[in-house]
Amino acid sequence: MKDFEPRIIGFLCNWCSYAGADAAGSARKIYPPNVKVIRVMCTGRIDPQFVLKAFQSGADGVLILGCHPGDCHYKEGNYNALRRFHLLRTMLAQFGIEKDRVRLDWVSASEAEKFVATVNDMVKKVKILGPLRKTAVA
Amino acid sequence: MRSRIGVYICSCGTNISENLDIDQLVRFSSGLENVAYVKTHALLCSEDGKSHISDDIIKEKPDRVVIVACTPKEHEKTFRNVLQKAGINPYLFQMVNVREQVAWVTADKQTATEKAKAYIRAAVRRVALHEPLEKREIDCNPDVLVIGAGPAGMEAALTLAKAGRKVFLVEKNSFIGGRVARYEEVFPKLECASCMLEPKMDEMLHHENIELLTNSEVREVLGFLGNFVARIQKKAGFVDREKCLGCGACYEQCPVTVRNEFDYNLSDRKAIYVPYTGALPNVPVIDTKNCLRFGDSGSSTYREAYELGLITLEEYEMFRNQDCSKCRDACSFDAINYEDTDEIVERNIGGIVVATGFDLFDPSVLSQFGYGSIPEVYTSLEFERILAQTGPTGGKLLMANQKEPRSVAIIHCVGSRDRNNKEYCSAVCCLYALKYAHMIEKHAPEVKVYDIYADWCVPGKDNQEFLDSVAGWKNLHFIHTKLPMNIAIQQADSTIALSCVDLAGKKQEFSADMVVLCPAMIPAKDASALSDILLISRGKDGFFTEGHTKLAPVSTNIEGIFIAGCAQGPKDIQSSVAQASAAAGQLLSLLVPGRKLELDVITAEIDEKACAECRICIGLCPYKAIVLDREKKVAVVNTVLCKGCGTCVAACPSGSAKSRHFTTQQIFAEIEEVLK
Ligand code: SF4
Ligand code: SF4
Repeated sequence: MKDFEPRIIGFLCNWCSYAGADAAGSARKIYPPNVKVIRVMCTGRIDPQFVLKAFQSGADGVLILGCHPGDCHYKEGNYNALRRFHLLRTMLAQFGIEKDRVRLDWVSASEAEKFVATVNDMVKKVKILGPLRKTAVA
Repeated sequence: MRSRIGVYICSCGTNISENLDIDQLVRFSSGLENVAYVKTHALLCSEDGKSHISDDIIKEKPDRVVIVACTPKEHEKTFRNVLQKAGINPYLFQMVNVREQVAWVTADKQTATEKAKAYIRAAVRRVALHEPLEKREIDCNPDVLVIGAGPAGMEAALTLAKAGRKVFLVEKNSFIGGRVARYEEVFPKLECASCMLEPKMDEMLHHENIELLTNSEVREVLGFLGNFVARIQKKAGFVDREKCLGCGACYEQCPVTVRNEFDYNLSDRKAIYVPYTGALPNVPVIDTKNCLRFGDSGSSTYREAYELGLITLEEYEMFRNQDCSKCRDACSFDAINYEDTDEIVERNIGGIVVATGFDLFDPSVLSQFGYGSIPEVYTSLEFERILAQTGPTGGKLLMANQKEPRSVAIIHCVGSRDRNNKEYCSAVCCLYALKYAHMIEKHAPEVKVYDIYADWCVPGKDNQEFLDSVAGWKNLHFIHTKLPMNIAIQQADSTIALSCVDLAGKKQEFSADMVVLCPAMIPAKDASALSDILLISRGKDGFFTEGHTKLAPVSTNIEGIFIAGCAQGPKDIQSSVAQASAAAGQLLSLLVPGRKLELDVITAEIDEKACAECRICIGLCPYKAIVLDREKKVAVVNTVLCKGCGTCVAACPSGSAKSRHFTTQQIFAEIEEVLK
């Protein structure tokens, strides 16, 4: 179990969190490579299907990062994401997917530190959970 | 479907090559499906790099391109332009960010290289699914809507009008000048406020490019930078602006007397009135609430009685429709029209300036100040009227009993700089408190003034000098307390007893006949409604949020909408006017007549055949970009309004809404490939 390297999909909104991840890069902050980033324009675009698809395709965790409430480039996309997120977690529980495998958080364009901390934390938590049981989403 | 994908890998000097094995990436990419060739370059974004790509494209004829380099936020546009020039649709392209999100953040080279491979694999799969998208342009409307006709709004309107732009200036009151119209003098030069304002007001009223809509409110705004449509409600005023000469014969005859809210109820007015002598435009309006003819509220008791079934409809109508026409009869110019009705007008504009000003924090919620319960406790704005020549006392310092007070206490920071109320400093109170002291010295030199303050906030080049010059007056006593909020104010027989603790910890007790509070500035009441209409955001204090505190202080989150003056936060007149000029300048550079505006390409679209008419998307779109086509029974995206957030796409239960360039298929492909 020691060598388990979780595979995590990170859906990042273009305006805040993707820029926050870039800022971490500009500041040369080293973090684990487990999170693979997929850029979307807004967290509002994140269809629950994307999360399911990620788990089906072998992800052990999904990280959704968007603009802080009130700062959404599209005014309220992140609120919609938040609403959907709660539903999603309930649904995932029915598939037997632990709630810590999906996380929604806010990272602004200047929060390089927070981005790195969130990635580290996510990787740590999913490591503890171990690999997603394939049967869960069959 | 086979594609012919060209992959270009950039070393970015050594920024990328230092931590990624470029040779491995070349070998890896060459082996991917649909990849026709892989090229490397030391610096793709340089002039040499860009011509390298375009020459190569012309030679190799790829149909899609993947660029492995830095963040798309830096150079996606650059490379799209290169592709466009080389004859490839700029959306048949995908960038892989291996600099910011791989090379710079990964501990060892092999791990980084593996991560980069996953991203390249995803991009190659994704780009094969891209569809060509066409750039769209529309004409830009250079005209501007300005909301609020205070000093900021007037400045913005005039600046724009002088540059030849048509300006629609909407003001909810019947007069222009905003709060400043209520002031007698302004700090720090103690200039006469009306002398300062009048030339501007005059110029504005006569400017051919400005359409002033008083008694009006913005009800709806649709669109985006360059193409907004505003729906404005013009309330009936019942007096024709063209015919009225402003002689005042009408209000002299009006039998109704009510309190004048312009003077904060310290004076009276008629049901047909101008709020103060000298108000501009000098055209009276009828207040239908109190006018006998309309009697909206004058007869509310009757309406209530009718609703309760105590009187009949006929009786109610009889009381309501009193046939008073005294004002119309008095008017020699036939200017009064009782048939006037509210009207909704539409104006097309390219940009908007919001200059809606401020209101005052209501001190009656803090019982220690006695406001509302002790008659001689006033707010600063009420006191401005007492000092004004056009005000209830004709500019004399008088109490309600028409006697001059022996002493006046001025209290700073009422509700400001207080964790439980407004945390911020209201920026102008110290200076107007000094102005009051100075004006009292001038009008009534025998009156004693107590100034209860916590700190002096007098930044700027003339203000310290102003403080020093006023502070010398022998009747002015400063009391330095830690927290003006901890003051106690009580009615005592014929005077008011005050007590507070000074900085030395000593209890100070004194009395004053009159107390003036300097309450926190808060956003204008309509700010919240306006933020819903314009979709511009507000901060935790309710003021409109600037695009960037330092670098975009008059922008908002919506392109083409700017803020100026106290709508953005507490400030003095000079800063408000400066912001207004800035907002006007921004609009002048954005909205150039004849220039085309580029529309977002990445928008949503709805498949007519699949749409189930559930309307979920309509309610969710933050830009009101989706409407229902009633005939076809489908939701339709207005791609001019759509910003492409994708919220509707994620929410559509029938899967008929689609995000251009961020299709579910494309994102699924990415997910599969990065996880392989
Ligand atoms: S109609 Fe009569 S009550 Fe109404 S505003 Fe005119 S004069 Fe006053
Ligand atoms: S993508 Fe959909 S929700 Fe977002 S702006 Fe466009 S139409 Fe509105």
